[in-house]
Amino acid sequence: MDIRSQVSMVFHLDKCIGCHTCSIACKNIWTDRKGTEYMWWNNVETKPGTGYPTKWEDQDKYQGGWEKRNGKLGLRSTGKGRVVFNLFHNPHQPGLDDYYEPWTYKYEDLFNAPEGDDQPTARPISMVTGKHIDIEAGPNWDDDLSGSPVYAENDPNLSALTPEQRAQLSAIERLVFFYFPRICNHCLNPACVASCPSGALYKRGEDGVVLIDQKRCRGWRSCIAACPYKKSYYNWSTGKSEKCILCFPRIETGQAPACFHSCVGRIRYLGVLLYDADRIDEIAGRPDNELVDAHRELIVDPNDPAIIKAARENGIQDDVIRSAQKSPVYKFVKEWKIALPPHIEFRTLPMLFYVPPMLPVMSSFDGKTVKNMSEGLFPDFDKARAPIEYLGKLFGAGNNSKVRYVLKKQMAIRTYRRAVTVGDVEMEHAEHMLREADCTVEEAEAIYKLTSLCTFEDRFVIPPAHREEAIEMVADPLEYKQSVGFGFKEEVKRGL
Amino acid sequence: MVLTKSVSGCRCFRLPLFLLLISFTYSQSLAQTPAEFFKKNCASCHTIGGGRLTGPDLKDVSKRQSRDWLVKWLLDPEGVLKSGDPYAVKMQKESRGAVMTRAPGITGEMANALLDLIAAESKLEKSQFAGLQISNRPLLPEDIDEGRALFMGGKPLKNGAPACISCHTVNSMESIFGGGRLGPNLTRAYARLQGRKGLSSWLSAPPGLTMTPIFSKYPLDAEEILPLVAFLKKETEMDKPVQSTAMINFLLFGLGGAVLLLVLFDLIWNKRFRGVRKAMIEKTYEGFNS
Repeated sequence: MDIRSQVSMVFHLDKCIGCHTCSIACKNIWTDRKGTEYMWWNNVETKPGTGYPTKWEDQDKYQGGWEKRNGKLGLRSTGKGRVVFNLFHNPHQPGLDDYYEPWTYKYEDLFNAPEGDDQPTARPISMVTGKHIDIEAGPNWDDDLSGSPVYAENDPNLSALTPEQRAQLSAIERLVFFYFPRICNHCLNPACVASCPSGALYKRGEDGVVLIDQKRCRGWRSCIAACPYKKSYYNWSTGKSEKCILCFPRIETGQAPACFHSCVGRIRYLGVLLYDADRIDEIAGRPDNELVDAHRELIVDPNDPAIIKAARENGIQDDVIRSAQKSPVYKFVKEWKIALPPHIEFRTLPMLFYVPPMLPVMSSFDGKTVKNMSEGLFPDFDKARAPIEYLGKLFGAGNNSKVRYVLKKQMAIRTYRRAVTVGDVEMEHAEHMLREADCTVEEAEAIYKLTSLCTFEDRFVIPPAHREEAIEMVADPLEYKQSVGFGFKEEVKRGL
Repeated sequence: MVLTKSVSGCRCFRLPLFLLLISFTYSQSLAQTPAEFFKKNCASCHTIGGGRLTGPDLKDVSKRQSRDWLVKWLLDPEGVLKSGDPYAVKMQKESRGAVMTRAPGITGEMANALLDLIAAESKLEKSQFAGLQISNRPLLPEDIDEGRALFMGGKPLKNGAPACISCHTVNSMESIFGGGRLGPNLTRAYARLQGRKGLSSWLSAPPGLTMTPIFSKYPLDAEEILPLVAFLKKETEMDKPVQSTAMINFLLFGLGGAVLLLVLFDLIWNKRFRGVRKAMIEKTYEGFNS
C-alpha cells in the first residue's frame, strides 16, 4: 500500500449556468500574456457540441490517452521508440485553427477614424498576427446552440446513439443542452507526464497537482498530443508548454483556485482524496465497463485506521488526513457515488469528477402550449430529452448503469425534498423512491445540504500545504539558525 | 591573494612542459632517417634510376648541379623559382608546370643527408627507390575491361585505396549518374599525361595535394596500373562527348526521386493529424449542398 494525497474536484453540472465567469477569472490571472492568448486553462463547453479544441474527445484523430496493447498500458500518441523518430515533427498536434485564432478589436478606429458618412467600426484583428481576420471560430463557438448542425452534430459522444435518437435530438421541441466546464483533471495516471521526453512534467508529491517545469520544458509538445483532454498548451512565444496549475499559489495559502472561487453557480467542490498509488497500473488497465468502479476502489477511506497508519508512514500530515476526512469530494465520489469521472476510458484516471445533469423533461407542443409528457411530478429519465446513452458515453465509458444510478438518486432526493417542503408528494412514495435509489433519508438530507445550502467552507476543504516540509527536500530550513542572519557576501574587515 | 597564489603555482609547471614539448618535436624530426624521409616526402614524385615521374629521375643528380644549389633548392624551391633561376625554370617546364613543394620539417642537415643518400643510391645497380616497374607488354582488350572494373570499384584496389569513380568520371559513364565530381574528368587523362609512360608513372605515385595523402598510404599495385592505363587510353581514343541528355536525365531522375520520397512519406505518415475543425466544417457544408 502506497497511500498518497490528491487535491481533487467535483463539478456539479446540474448547477452550472454556463456564464463563463470561471474562464474569465482564469484568463485574467494566468493566460493574459503573449503566446497564451488562445489558451483557456478553464473553458466551458456546450454539450452536445464539439468543445475546445474542436472534437478533442475524438482520440482516433488526436491520439490522446492510454490504450491497452498486449495487456500492457501504452500511450497512444508516442512511446520510447516512436518519440525518437517524431521528435522534430511531433504528430497529432492540434493546429491554431482547431483551437481558434484569438482576436481583439481595433478599438482606436472608433476614435481616430476621419469624419465620414458612416459610423466607424472596430474591426477584429488577430492577437497573434495583428492583422485583420474574419472570425470563424472561438473557444465556445456555438455556445448555447446545441441544435447547430455543424458543431453539435459532430459531437463524438453522439456515436453512442441510434440514428433515430440522433434525429430526435435536433427536433425543435427536444432541443437540449447542458454545460461542461473543464480544467486540467490532475490525473492519477497522467499521459502528459508519461509522454514528456525532457521529464519536465511532474505530479507534485504533496497534493498531486500536475505541473510543467518551465526550466526543463524543451517544447517537444509530446504532452499536448498525449493529453486526451487537450489541457496542455504550447506557448508560441516562450516555446514552452503550459497548463492549468490548479492555482497552487492560492491553494498553498488556503484559498480556492480562481475558477472555483469565482463560480457563480457554486458548482465546484474541492477537497483531498487519499488513494493507493500501488494499484494505479492495475486499475487503469481494467476493462472499460469496470473502470468507474475500479477508479472508486483506488480512492481509500480516510477514516480507516489502517489507511491512516499507512498515510502517516508515507509522510502525510495529520491535518491533511483530517482534511481528507472532511472532503466534500470524498462524499460525492465515494460515499454517495453521484460524481463520475469524464471519459474514464482514456485511462488517465482523472481526479475531477462530475455530477451529471438532470436534463429537461420531454414535452410536446399541442398548438397552444408546451405540455409535460411525463405522468409524475418528475419524468422518467429514460424519457429525458438527452438520451442516457449520451451521458453514459461521457461519464461512464459507455456503462449507462453508472449514470442511471446517479440520476435516479438525484431524482429521489428531489422528490423527497418536494415531500418535505411542498407536501404535494406522499412522503411514503418519496421514501420508497429513496430506497429504490439506494439512498437513506440522512444521505438525502446531506446531499441536499451540500448541493443547495453549501457554504464556502463546505465546498472548499483545502488541506494545509506544509511548504516548510516541501522546502526541507531541497534545503535545510535551520541552515542559518544561530548564524549571522542574512550573512555577508564579502568578509567584513573588522570584528573578530 | 588566493588568486595570485594559484597562478604562480601554475607557472612552475609551464617551463618544463614547454621544454618537454620542444624536445619532443625536435627529437622526432631527428629520429627520421634520410631513407624514411625520402620515402615519405620525395618518392611520390621522384625515383632514383627508375625514370621520371612528376619530377625528374634523381640518379646522379649531384653531377647535374652543385650541392649548394641543390640544398638551396630543397630548402626553398618556390624562392629559387621566383628568383628566375634558368635551371629551375627549365625543370618546371619538363614537369609540365608542377612546382616542387618544400618537404615539411626539412632542415639544412636533412637536405645534406638526403643528397648523401641519393649519391649512395645512385651507385647501386638497383636502388630501393627505383619505383614501380611496369611491364611493357602490349595492352589487351581484357585489360580495358579489368581497368573499367577497377575504375568503377567493381574490383577493389588491392591495397585498399578508394575506387577512382568515387571522385572522378569519364564521359562514357555519363548517362544518369556518372562518376564523382570532386576530381577532374579523366576522359582525356591519357592524352594529357602524354601517353602510356607518363600516365603509368603518374599512377605509380600520384602527386598533388589530394592524391598524395591517399595513395602514399594505399599505393596502386603494378598489376593494377596497366589495366587502368588501358582503360583510360580507350577513353581518350573514343573521346565521347558528354550526352546532352545526361543533364536532363539527372534532373528528371532527381525530381522523380523526390516525388517518390514524398509519396512514401505520405504513406508512412498517412494517419498523421491534419486538422479537425476545417475538415469538419467543409464536410458538413458538403452535406448541405448535395
